[in-house]
Formats: sequence, structure tokens, C-alpha cells
Amino acid sequence: MHPVCIVMIEDDEGHARLIEKNIRRAGVNNEIVHLRDGASGLRYLFGADGSGEVSAGRALLVLLDLNLPDMTGVDILTRMKANRHTKRSPVVVLTTTDDEREIQRCYDLGANVYITKPVNYEGFANAIRQLGLFFSVMQVPEMD
Amino acid sequence: MAPSRVLPIVASVVFVLFIVGAAWIAGSLATRTGLVQHSLTVETSLSDLLSSLQDAETGQRGYLLTSDEAYLAPQIRASEAIGAEFAALRAAIVDNPTQLQALSELQVVTEARLAILRHAIELQRVGDVAGALAVVRSDRGRDLMDHARAIIAGMRAEEARVLVRRSAAAAFFSRTLLGVIVASGILALLSVGLWFRGAHRYAGVLERAREDLHSANTGLEAKVAERTAELRDSNDEIQRFAYIVSHDLRAPLVNIMGFTSELEATREDIRAELPETPKSQAIDRDFAEALGFIKAAIAKMDGLIGAILKISRDGRRAFRPELLDVTALVRGLADAQRHQAEEAGAVVTVGALPAITADRLAVEQVFGNLLDNAIKYLDPGRRGRIEVSGQVIGPRVRYEIRDNGRGIAPSDHERVFELFRRAGAQDRPGEGIGLAYVRMLVRSMGGRIEVASESGVGTIFSVTLLRTPPTV
Repeated sequence: MHPVCIVMIEDDEGHARLIEKNIRRAGVNNEIVHLRDGASGLRYLFGADGSGEVSAGRALLVLLDLNLPDMTGVDILTRMKANRHTKRSPVVVLTTTDDEREIQRCYDLGANVYITKPVNYEGFANAIRQLGLFFSVMQVPEMD
Repeated sequence: MAPSRVLPIVASVVFVLFIVGAAWIAGSLATRTGLVQHSLTVETSLSDLLSSLQDAETGQRGYLLTSDEAYLAPQIRASEAIGAEFAALRAAIVDNPTQLQALSELQVVTEARLAILRHAIELQRVGDVAGALAVVRSDRGRDLMDHARAIIAGMRAEEARVLVRRSAAAAFFSRTLLGVIVASGILALLSVGLWFRGAHRYAGVLERAREDLHSANTGLEAKVAERTAELRDSNDEIQRFAYIVSHDLRAPLVNIMGFTSELEATREDIRAELPETPKSQAIDRDFAEALGFIKAAIAKMDGLIGAILKISRDGRRAFRPELLDVTALVRGLADAQRHQAEEAGAVVTVGALPAITADRLAVEQVFGNLLDNAIKYLDPGRRGRIEVSGQVIGPRVRYEIRDNGRGIAPSDHERVFELFRRAGAQDRPGEGIGLAYVRMLVRSMGGRIEVASESGVGTIFSVTLLRTPPTV
């Protein structure tokens, strides 16, 4: 059985660094793969051929930002939940957007958790640390 | 003026002139007819006169032959009748000098003839039969009689001539009258026709004008709808822009805050590592000061971005209009702020306010902010009085929030509605968001807000809202 890998699709370097720091502070030592834009995120999840076979046998937990420079995270979420290799991977949407319709849309598309990044840093750090604690207890299935 | 408008007027004026002319001609005809009647009267009177004269002669002869007084009766009647006949004749020929002269001559002859008759009768009566016969035989009476006949014949001839002339004139006037009446009839028809044509044309012009107006109105409505749609689009665009900007500003802000906190943690680590020397303490103080300023600036910026986000989000929020008891709503808001009002020593009076159909939250925010402002910016020099009133104006309701507070200088009347702008002494907490937010809400509801204020006297905020939301 593969160890769970955390895939973080986040264009903001600073955010990525802060997220990683706080997850680590929660005692999570899993591998964190940071992808800086939508295209590289898709390539990592679905491979160069886009079939998603590359993810077969992986145990992935995806941290997804919606505001990416080249596409919206909603597109990545849609493709993941439509692909048989990636559809069971838990997806945590972690974004600044707190628009109600956007939240509904993400859950409709199969997002497992939706978290709005708190603006003040204490809140942000706290949220990420709790998310890390949550990661440490949650089950992530290995994919077909 | 166009000929089409002048023609019927000219026709009508001519028609009226014809009618006046016809009346004058009819009057003249009546006069001529009267004159013809005169001539006929003259003819009759002359006949009567002659026969009266003959009667008188006959009566005298009978008496002379028989000495019977009964024969004198016709003679006396005739003598009396002759006077009346002369009077009638004189009246009938008063306008004809020739006839008048002849009549005077006839009267002299007649008087002379009658005098001879009377003289013979007197002689007979006193028994001088021979004297009487001598008077009769003298031929003087016959000569006078012949003279009278000649004068009468002359007068008849003259009157016949006059009659012909007068009849011709009367006939001329009746023909003219007939002609004028027929012409008037034709003119009447013509002017009615012209008026009718004019009216018809005018009606056509009116109808075209009405159609033009209608199409202009329709065009105007379409234009207004178009402009409204454009405005709504541009408003939506601004809202989206504000939303995106506030989001994108937040992302770096999280980094600044995050790494400032990391820096603070690092500072703790450094302090733990460094020995407690005066120099290291000075460095630590510099650290603390710099971090303090950074964090204050971040907090301020966070507040501003939060405000933009709130306004843009509320602007995007779909309103849920419902019938609102505005009196109860505003009283509720005033009660909620009673504590602040009492602290400021102010009295809030809420009159009976017209109900409207609008989004409850938006209306609450509008009145809440305006009341809050009124309480916040009272004049400490006098007891605060805040009044809320309202009245229906057609399809709208105008609410007024009136205070006797410090007021707003005229130069700041527009500024107070701008985001992050404040007016007057900056001695109260606030970020300059309230009124910008209120104006955004009022505009989103299709209303408007105005301010009337005088420094040191007070302020009136007027909020005009539609009684029912516009159907889009």
C-alpha cells in the first residue's frame, strides 16, 4: 500500500509555503507535491496522455485552489470526478472565494471539503493546522 | 397661412356679405312693392273722384228738374267723399311733384265746379228756377268738368308711366334677390365643403402628429430601456470588478500577514538565542516597532478590502422583496440603538412611515446606517433630536432622517457618499464606508439618496424608494 500523497495545486508561492508549514506543524509528514498552475496539475493527475492511468494505484489527497492563472480549479475538479482513476480521491477546495454559488457548485461536482482561506493569519494558520490534524486521521483510498 | 386655411374663411365671409346683401335687396323690394301699391291706389282714387264728381252733378240735375230734396242726398255724399279722396290722393303721390301740381290744379277746378253746383241749388231752393237754369246753361260747369276730366286723364297717364317704371324696378329687385339667394345657397354649400375639407385635412394632420408622437414615445421607451440595461450592465461590471479586485488583493495580504507572523515567531527564536545585552534589546525593540506598524497597516488594509468585498457582495446579492411595515422596522432599529442614543443624550422620534415592498435586509441596512450616523455626529452643544418621517409621492416613497447635529459643509455633500471618504472633524471611529454602502443599496433598489445640510444646524438625508420594486 502506497503512502498518502498530498497534491497541492496552488499558484501563490507564499500561500503554498504557509500551508505546508502549518500542515507540518500539525505533525503531518506525508509527501506534499506542489503544482503551481492548472496545466501542471492536470499533467500530474492525468499523465501526459490525459487518461488518468498514471494515478492508478496512487493514494492522493488533493488540495485545490480555485483561482489559478491558466484555468479555474472547478475545471480540474470536474475532470477528476469524471475520471474513473481519480474520482474517489478526496478533494479539499481551499480558496479565497466565499461566494455561495461557487461553494454549492463545488459540492455538486463532488468536492469533499470546501474551506475559505481566512483573511487574518491566525485564522488561516489555525484552519490549516486543523486540516492537517484531519488529514492525519482520514482514510484515503488507493485508486483503481 | 396656407391657401387651404384661407379659402374657407374667404368663402364664409363672402357668404355673410351675400346674406347681408340679400336682406338689403329684400328691404328695397318691399319698398318698391309699396310704391307699386301707391300707383294702384292713385288710379283707384282718381276713378273714385271722377265718379263722385259725376254723382254730385247727377244729384244737382235731379233736384233742378224735380225740386225734390231726396235728389240732393247723392250730391251731398259726393261732396263729402271728394274731400277724403283728395287727402288719399295727396298721400299716395306725395313723392311725385308733377302729380302734386296736377292734383292742386284738379282741386281748384273741382272746388269751382262744386261751387257752381251749390249756387244753382241755392237759386232753385229760393224759387229762382230761371236763375238756376241760367247757371246750368252757362256751360261754365261743363267746361270745368271737361277740364277736370282732362287733368284726371293726365294724372292717370303719368301714374301709369310711374307704375311701369316701379313695376320694372320691383321685378328687377325680385330677380336680383332670387339670384342672390341662389348664389348664397351655392356659397353656403361651397364654404361648408371647404370647411369640411379643411377639417378633414386638419384631422389628418392631427392623426399623423399623434402617430409621430406615439412612435417617438415608443422610441423613447426603447431608448430608456436600452440605457437602463447598459447602466445595469456597467453596474454589474463594476460589482464584478470590485469583487475580483478585493479577492486578488486578499491573496497577497494573507502572505504579508502570514510571513509577518512567521517573522514574529523567528524574532522569538532569535531573542531566545541572543544574550541579553543592551544592544540586542535595542534591536529587539526595533523589531517590535516595525512589526507593530506592519500589523496595524495590514489590519487597516484588511478592513478596507473587507468593506469593498461586503459592498460588492451585497450589491450582487439577489434582493427578496417583501411588504415591509417600515414604521415597525425603523422603530426596531431605533430601539436597538437606544443605548447609543441615550449615551449621546439624543431623542429619536419615528413617525408613521409608508409601507413599501422591498428587501428587508437592504432597507434595514439603509435606515440602520443613517440612524447610526445621525447619533454619531450630533452636536455636543445641544440636545440631540432625530426625526424619521415619510410620505408617499406617486409611485415612490420619500423617507427623511432629520437631525440637529453638527451638519455637513456644502463642499462635502457629495464626498460623504464616496467610499473611504469622511467629512468634518475626524473625531469618531469609522472607515468611511457607511454612506457609500447605503447609496449602493438604495441605488440597487432603484431609488436615490440626497443630503441637505448646513454646518452647525443639522442634516436631512432623503431616501426615495419605489413602493414596489421595478419588474425587470
